[in-house]
Amino acid sequence: MNLEDELRAALRREDPSLGFAKRVVARAKPSPQSNRPIFRMAWAVAIAAMLLIGLTATYEARQMKAERAGRDAVMALRIAADKLNNAREKVVRREN
Amino acid sequence: MTDDPERFEDLVREHQAMVFSMACRYLRNRALAEEIAQDVFLQLYRKLPSLESSEHVLHWLRWVTAHRLIDHSRQEKRRPQSPLDDAPEPVAADSTGSADPLLSEMLRDLVASLPENARVVMILRYQEDLDPMDIARALDMPIATVKSHLQRSLALLRDKLSRTKGVGL
Repeated sequence: MNLEDELRAALRREDPSLGFAKRVVARAKPSPQSNRPIFRMAWAVAIAAMLLIGLTATYEARQMKAERAGRDAVMALRIAADKLNNAREKVVRREN
Repeated sequence: MTDDPERFEDLVREHQAMVFSMACRYLRNRALAEEIAQDVFLQLYRKLPSLESSEHVLHWLRWVTAHRLIDHSRQEKRRPQSPLDDAPEPVAADSTGSADPLLSEMLRDLVASLPENARVVMILRYQEDLDPMDIARALDMPIATVKSHLQRSLALLRDKLSRTKGVGL
């Protein structure tokens, strides 16, 4: 035999394991459940609910942040006003 | 062509040996070869409505399998290897009917060690019995490149065989 004949013999086709075609077809067919309208509707509702929860959580987090910033600003103004009052009182005492 | 599941199963049976053997000879790993062959057929299932004839299906399958295998080995080269990846594949009983099973085994190993494009060309030439013109068409490759891959691979195989085992073919 020459090399080319040996190569033909060595590289001859062989079949995959039993049930290969059935396994491929099973993977190719979409599962019947996922195609039913009720399941599609359930998926849509679930996704909408998740979106709503996400948006609400984001909105509430922003609200809380804004409220906290407002409180901090009021506190800072009060502290500044106290300091100004102290300074004013000291100036008035010296003038007297 | 129709994507009717029964017709599709017939198509898989008709072409499974070709696709699986191409992958198996290329990768030297039966489990991985089956996985890739399954993926190729799943791709075929989605593509079926746009394929016009049996010849078109056959040509498409050869083209997709060849490119899938080349892509796979290029990705593997970039991936860090684990020690298990280097473990040798268990040797299946020789079913090729060759006069010398050891020589067949050695040839399969040598073919699997060729560079990606040369390996696919050799598999299409000696597994599928395609002539260089058909290989060039199947791989969208210039015929001169196909002939050069064949000549260089055969010379390399002859050289390696004569050096490792003193086999002169």
